[in-house]
Amino acid sequence: MIKPYTEINKRIKSGDVVVVNAEEMIEIVKNRGIKVAAEEIDVVTTGTFGPMCSSGAFLNFGHSDPPIKFEHLWLNDVHAYHGNAAVDCYIGVTRMADIRPFEYGGGHVIEDLIAGKSIRLRGNSYTTDCYPLAKVDTEFTIDDLNQAILCNPRNAYQRYACAVNSTDRILYTYMGKLLPNYGNAHYSGSGCLNPLCNDPDYETIGFGTRIFLGGGVGYVIGEGTQHNPINNYGSLFVKGDLKQMISEYLKGVNYEKYGTSMFVGLGIPIPILNENLARKTASKDEEIFTDVVDYGVPRRDRPILKKVSYKELKSGYIELYDNKIKCSSLSSLFYARKIANELKKWIEDGIFFLNPPAEPLPKETEYKPMKQTSELKFVKDLKRTAVICYEDCDIKTVAEKIITQNMNHIVITDRENHLKGIVTSFDVTKAIAEEKTNLKEIITTRVIITTDNEPIEVAGRKMKLNDISALPVIDENNKVIGIITSEELMQN
Amino acid sequence: MTIINVTLPFGVIKDISDYSRFINKILKYDISFNILKFSTGSSGINLLLDIPEGKIKTITESLKKNNIIVNKKGRVIIDDDKCIDCGACISLCPTDALHFNSEDRLEFSYEKCIGCLLCLDSCPRYAIEEM
Repeated sequence: MIKPYTEINKRIKSGDVVVVNAEEMIEIVKNRGIKVAAEEIDVVTTGTFGPMCSSGAFLNFGHSDPPIKFEHLWLNDVHAYHGNAAVDCYIGVTRMADIRPFEYGGGHVIEDLIAGKSIRLRGNSYTTDCYPLAKVDTEFTIDDLNQAILCNPRNAYQRYACAVNSTDRILYTYMGKLLPNYGNAHYSGSGCLNPLCNDPDYETIGFGTRIFLGGGVGYVIGEGTQHNPINNYGSLFVKGDLKQMISEYLKGVNYEKYGTSMFVGLGIPIPILNENLARKTASKDEEIFTDVVDYGVPRRDRPILKKVSYKELKSGYIELYDNKIKCSSLSSLFYARKIANELKKWIEDGIFFLNPPAEPLPKETEYKPMKQTSELKFVKDLKRTAVICYEDCDIKTVAEKIITQNMNHIVITDRENHLKGIVTSFDVTKAIAEEKTNLKEIITTRVIITTDNEPIEVAGRKMKLNDISALPVIDENNKVIGIITSEELMQN
Repeated sequence: MTIINVTLPFGVIKDISDYSRFINKILKYDISFNILKFSTGSSGINLLLDIPEGKIKTITESLKKNNIIVNKKGRVIIDDDKCIDCGACISLCPTDALHFNSEDRLEFSYEKCIGCLLCLDSCPRYAIEEM
């Protein structure tokens, strides 16, 4: 059976079109079979509503009098990018306000703009003969703009990794707040409602596909950046007229200690052109898998701990190392469904038509890591020999070592060289002032450590976060094999 | 009904008439409530009050105005206007006080909240407030 786009659009026009959302399609195929579903269902709608950092908007303000060519400009104190013509700019959602960072950012500016709120525009210029104005400080609303175009280089990931944290401290990431020792798990994506999951071979989604974007009509304008179809991490480059959109479907957000982003509401209709598409749009959560990834490892290639289905993710718990871990989403399933249903209504009401893509999305794009020309340095490259005292020695011995070895940090071990603690010259000074003699009274036993293969930047961040200036280097048996201090980092 | 834990500091409540005055101030709002527990602590009299869920804000604000301490241990409130039903707070809640209902909308069971406040800085929309 083959059903052409013209046939489907004819049915939309006459009001006879049969549209269901991707969750409903599962039931229909289950109850009536693929063949009947393919014949009876014309369109399956999908939706997703989650944080999409690679988003932003092009704005055009019109010319001032006398004219200005912006060099720098701010919208509600959020720096917008200017590298185009005089009064064009791009406001990106992760850029944070200069005065209210980690609270208000580009995504909030876009949300406020759509909500009709007044936005403060400040800009400056080096001035030219044709653009003599040096400074602008004004206010505008979306109605005052010539164009306001949402243009998102990477949206609607086919799936996303599920994040957990193996370390002993809380991590604040773009995957939300991750509790230590695998205390919780976060995932993103709507699973069986996700647009690309319903057309994984890009039969109908491609350049020019008309979509639901932020409550208005938008278009797919190509594959997203980092598009990685081979590993089922496809993504989309989309645009749409911000002036049509509503703030319910574009929400500025901030993740604690990570920064700002924006929730984007996006829905794509899949025309059921053939039985294959009926089958694909009926794919269930239990058939869509993603990786559980340890965000405790601060490297590009984080360890994959296991595979997990969206069914398990949506159940609220995942199994990991024989434990049940509480799991929740960062994206909203309620709004994903609402978007799919809204799009369904548009099609049923005859105000949204489907079109074949001008070009299909690429299926074999290579996803490459960054080429880094400067060599990555590790702790093992910069560490030095640790000055060690045994745990049963007295404070005087430690003090002597500090003087003779000219070292501020003395690592305390047992006779087998296992790490037991650390004592600094300040601890010793304080002990003398307080007339303490027992090493046990001044030793720090909860020591922040590093290992040979930790990148220098990671070790440096540990020192900064904990407000300390040295980290003992230990091997897999907790034996001390060196020390790295802020001095080495500074010399680096 | 839901439970709040309040302390009447020693300086504020000196005798039985002070105590009646305080209770009458709550009764003024035409709210019926139960006193579940009455005990004296190091800083004053501790009361566990069982109050209607919808009146939490009115009562706590009134108490605070009268120098009654509403103990922070416990309890957040969710601003439904700000919440976008994402779920970023749910995995952090050790008691399922924060959970999705059958429509995948965030629901908060106040009586289950133990006040660990782990969720407080997890909300990307600042919809969770400490009481």
